[in-house]
Amino acid sequence: MSARRATGGGLIDRSQPIRFTFDGKTYTGYAGDTLASALLANGVTLVGRSFKYHRPRGIFTAGIDEPNALVTVLKDGVREPNIPATGIEIYDGLTAESQNRFPSLEFDLAAVNQLAGPLFSAGFYYKTFMGPVIGPLKGTRFWMFCEHFIRRAAGLGRAGYEKDPVRYEKMNAFCDVLVVGAGPAGLMAATEAAKAGKRVILAEQDPRLGGSANWSGEEIGGKKATEWAEVKAAELTALDNVQILTRTTVWGYYDGNNLAAIERVTDHLPAAPIGVPRHRHWSIRAGTVVLATGALERPLVFPGNDRPGVMLAGAAERYAREFGVLPGEKIAVFTNNDSAYRAAAALKEAGAAIVAIIDVRPEISPAARALAEQAGIAPLTGHAVTDTVGKRLTKVMVQHFDAATGRLSGDPRPIEADCLVVSGGWSPAIHLASQAGGAPVWDGKLQAFLPPEPNQKWVGAGAFTGALTTAEALSTGRDAGLKATGKKASRVKLPEVAAPALDPFPAAVFEIKAKGKAFVDLQHDVTADDVRLAHREGFVSVEHLKRYTTLGMATDQGKTSNVPGLAIMADARGLPIEKVGTTRFRPPFSPISIGSLAAERHWRFKPDRLTPMHDWHVKRRARMMEAGLWHRPMIYGEPGETVEQAYAREAAAVRRSVGICDVSTLGKIAVKGPDAAGFLDHVYTNVFSTLPVGKARYGLMLREDGIAFDDGTTWRLGEHEFLMTTTTANAGKVMQHLEYYLDVVWPQLKVHVTSVTDQWAGAAVAGPNARKVLQACVTGTAVDNETLPHMGIVHGEIAGAPVMICRLSFSGELAYEVYCGAGHGRHVWEALMAAGEPFGITPYGLEALGALRIEKGHVTGAEIDGRTTARDLYLDWMLSKKKPFIGSALMDREGQIDWSRLRLVGVISLDGRPLGGGAHIVEKADGNGLGTSIGHVTASCYSPALQKYIGLALVRGGKARHGTRAFLSDPLRKRFGQVEIVSHHFFDPEGKRLHG
Amino acid sequence: MLIPCPHCGPRDLAEFSYQGDATRVRPDPASTDMKAWYDYVYNRPNPSGPHREYWQHSGGCRAHLVVVRDTLSHEIISVAFAHAGLNTAEGRQ
Amino acid sequence: MVERESPLGAAFRPGRHGNLSAGPGLRISEVTPSGIAEAAAWPGMKAALAEVISSVTALSLSAEPNTGDVGPESSAFSIGPQRFLVTGGADLPARLAAALPLEIGTVTDLSHGRTAIRIEGARAGWVLSKLFAIDFHAEAFPLTEGRATVHHDIFAQIQRISPNGFDIYVFRSFARAFWLELCEAAEEVGYEVAG
Repeated sequence: MSARRATGGGLIDRSQPIRFTFDGKTYTGYAGDTLASALLANGVTLVGRSFKYHRPRGIFTAGIDEPNALVTVLKDGVREPNIPATGIEIYDGLTAESQNRFPSLEFDLAAVNQLAGPLFSAGFYYKTFMGPVIGPLKGTRFWMFCEHFIRRAAGLGRAGYEKDPVRYEKMNAFCDVLVVGAGPAGLMAATEAAKAGKRVILAEQDPRLGGSANWSGEEIGGKKATEWAEVKAAELTALDNVQILTRTTVWGYYDGNNLAAIERVTDHLPAAPIGVPRHRHWSIRAGTVVLATGALERPLVFPGNDRPGVMLAGAAERYAREFGVLPGEKIAVFTNNDSAYRAAAALKEAGAAIVAIIDVRPEISPAARALAEQAGIAPLTGHAVTDTVGKRLTKVMVQHFDAATGRLSGDPRPIEADCLVVSGGWSPAIHLASQAGGAPVWDGKLQAFLPPEPNQKWVGAGAFTGALTTAEALSTGRDAGLKATGKKASRVKLPEVAAPALDPFPAAVFEIKAKGKAFVDLQHDVTADDVRLAHREGFVSVEHLKRYTTLGMATDQGKTSNVPGLAIMADARGLPIEKVGTTRFRPPFSPISIGSLAAERHWRFKPDRLTPMHDWHVKRRARMMEAGLWHRPMIYGEPGETVEQAYAREAAAVRRSVGICDVSTLGKIAVKGPDAAGFLDHVYTNVFSTLPVGKARYGLMLREDGIAFDDGTTWRLGEHEFLMTTTTANAGKVMQHLEYYLDVVWPQLKVHVTSVTDQWAGAAVAGPNARKVLQACVTGTAVDNETLPHMGIVHGEIAGAPVMICRLSFSGELAYEVYCGAGHGRHVWEALMAAGEPFGITPYGLEALGALRIEKGHVTGAEIDGRTTARDLYLDWMLSKKKPFIGSALMDREGQIDWSRLRLVGVISLDGRPLGGGAHIVEKADGNGLGTSIGHVTASCYSPALQKYIGLALVRGGKARHGTRAFLSDPLRKRFGQVEIVSHHFFDPEGKRLHG
Repeated sequence: MLIPCPHCGPRDLAEFSYQGDATRVRPDPASTDMKAWYDYVYNRPNPSGPHREYWQHSGGCRAHLVVVRDTLSHEIISVAFAHAGLNTAEGRQ
Repeated sequence: MVERESPLGAAFRPGRHGNLSAGPGLRISEVTPSGIAEAAAWPGMKAALAEVISSVTALSLSAEPNTGDVGPESSAFSIGPQRFLVTGGADLPARLAAALPLEIGTVTDLSHGRTAIRIEGARAGWVLSKLFAIDFHAEAFPLTEGRATVHHDIFAQIQRISPNGFDIYVFRSFARAFWLELCEAAEEVGYEVAG
């Protein structure tokens, strides 16, 4: 066994063993382990198969940059694929599986893809499948043939089909200073800002604060760095004005200093406590942001650099110092910079043998040389690794290398090693700064992109700025904290750092060109040759390179592969890297759950909006339907009734005796003020200033472009007070419309509008016996024809509750709308039901309401559909000629009065079958029932009054077609048949019933 | 994006509704100048840079605001009430 | 007088709920006052309107945005450039309307149209921050002040009535949905519904 737990060391709790399962086998780790560190501690070094070639892969990093060790976690009955093992904290009972292997990780059939290597090179999909269709199996057709096999072979983990049962939440936060990253720089910045009394949020993606202090092996302030971090963390935790968020990744930097973060609240627990969300999406509005996100190590690109056992040097150091784990027993080091020497010393100290330090540079710093001595090995300078051997690493091949020319010389010689740790330099984690805006700046000394000049309110600190030493992290952290507070004098003392004086600058070497597959992007299996192939084929822009090769497009978003990829492209083009440029980083910084974005709307997309009579309807077994956010009774079905039978019965009861319908959902707007009447004259097409107090009038509104907008009745309750009603659907839009005109267009008008939709419960009582029902229960006013004529309004009481009654009708029957305070809604409704009992009062739902209005030819949103004009709907009589109104200027433009417009008609089914809404009307049907559309059905029903299937339709020519026949064409529902076009006033066209 | 509402203070974009270009001028209601009406209803410039636009704080105080916003950077350059009467100290009192 | 029915129905479940490992972090109750009115002033008349409201309710109001006052029988806070939400006894809307001349502004009775939900306790700000994108920190949202905001489709007008207490006025038709969401958000810290 190669990798193992070190005998001592690490920040794990060796007194707390934890059992977990990987690929069906149970292992033991310790509290504080990640799945990756615990697997390494158990000697598991092969953890996955690669994306395209199914090559065996091991653990490559110790953090969010992990390209290889992606696993599927099974928890709460749900499988979640593609989680880096380096980010999973183990807990008792954790169950994880490796991915992209069949039948097993050790023996994978699809590894044969490696032999077909050239087939899967850059642009394979485009070249093979997107070409022209020649022959039976080319191009897209070939794709359709192969898709199943390829989808199975290529790719990552398999998602589950189960409903995710866990909770996600959103949290809104505000702070003066948001510090991203709690390494030495972040801790200093947070301390400085906190001491200045600012509201501080400190976000750290790891469970433990301290960042590099937890694995640097350095001393800060005379203490071990990790102890210093612990003290700092404790100090900050004790402060009221500091909120510390661990396990929290700030992943998005948006306009206005809005940042998005994900807190993994319970992923590290076997089970979530009651009410605690799995993930919390943080939306943070920060005054200033301190970006202390550190730097990410880059690998070197060389043949065989993907073999299990090859790992980043910084990751190996972290495993040794933070987790007490050795990634191998005989470790070789391959580097172009000094930082790997510290890793070598750490690994040696933890108990491994360092078998070689292979450095591409001819010369190294004295500090590096001293660390090599500690590691017990003389560095092989001017050398490079040219290949690796073994399914799990057994040997590395080494050759002389000239860093200036990139040339290899001499014979390759093997060095036995079970682990190769690699460092290709460090790239500041500038992702958030790039998201905030601005182009990154190439630094030739660091061989890395530095953050752009801020164009939002942020300050950088630590390795993020390219300052890689801990001493610089502390000082830049303190300065950033100070800058964020706007103060001059610091309140924080800079601690001393004891650390080797390493040279921060790497040699400009990214790739060792030798024979064999050298991987740039391990997760997407993109090789150095793929990048060069893309260049030869003309994809020279980095944006094209990315899309053509898919370099950097996997779940790790190229954290380890970005800069090496650019360097290889720059080399191929013969340009310096800064001329090749870089792609812009996009959110999220690292993968996040979709659940966290849905948050409290996970499985619940909208609130239920209920009328005061809702519980009555439900108790009465009404079938409820959603109308916008509202829940409304569709039918009150009797046992055994179909929907059609139910509404036909309800509608017939209205025509025969009396029915009652909940109309509380109608939009209601109080319009008040000395200019209220004049304002209504502007917004309605007809005149309201002449309406007497105590009367209502039907009104129509247009949009500015002359298209019909909404209709409803408006009641004049006082000289300067109106109650406007709108359709249920447009209540919000009409309110906004009125507010707009009062704020923007006619600010001189003294009018207030207030939504009172929820203040009033409304019940429509309709039918020949409606008056008798009211007479039986209304007190304090008469309701006879004299006192309460058509469109009249009276005030009284029903069962002790104040009511306002308007006589108006949507059904064509003698009808009233009874309004009362919403809190009295059910009380009044029940009183009306009781008063109506002798008349067999029948509650009716939306379907019956629809049937009644279709019979009368009243329009609703189905006809006022944003395309029709008043004239299209034969509402010309409502267009006042005495005054301008919204829409009057443009309503009679040529196109809006053209003969060919679709206008309102009635249609009657001639074959005794229903007409579907949306079905086309055609003049002549071909053999398939198709033809040229002359319009469409907007609403349809069975009419109990006519005992026929009828509908309203918008048809070219409108009235001119009355009495003619046409065809219904509804190919979607395979419904064809003959219809008669008639007037939309099907029933009681003279309106006699209205007047009782 | 945050919009600093003159009544409520800075609020999240989600609380606001875009209400269109604030450079358009509504002709006199009785005007029959069709060109003026077309300009008001349809014709819009599409500037790159500062743009005057109406936003309603529909999820807050309901006031319409005139916001000058840079269409390139989303920077909010200025905000005022659309109802001019509210932009003076006397008006707000 | 007919009693006004609560919109919460069966969603109102008195008792302790959720994660009580640290005791209930909150108390939630329905506190809809008998009288609720929206009073609006014409431009230049907000101070005059504040005076009228103050005289009717014995509150002390100013024309400053977001400000308010809380008294034993009444409360009021600014909900818009020229608007206040005012609460009190059942006759409040009528008394306000009688006291307010048309030259200053108008009053609209909302006694049935709004439902007030009170949330009190150490974790009130935490739980409300799950639902609203406004800052509940005492410095940013001082005592007696009001805020008009929205949770998805649900408008809410919120007044801080104590250091850890908030009254949330929502449209009556949304009250039950909002109550259920609030309870769900409060489960994490445990809550008591005062019956």
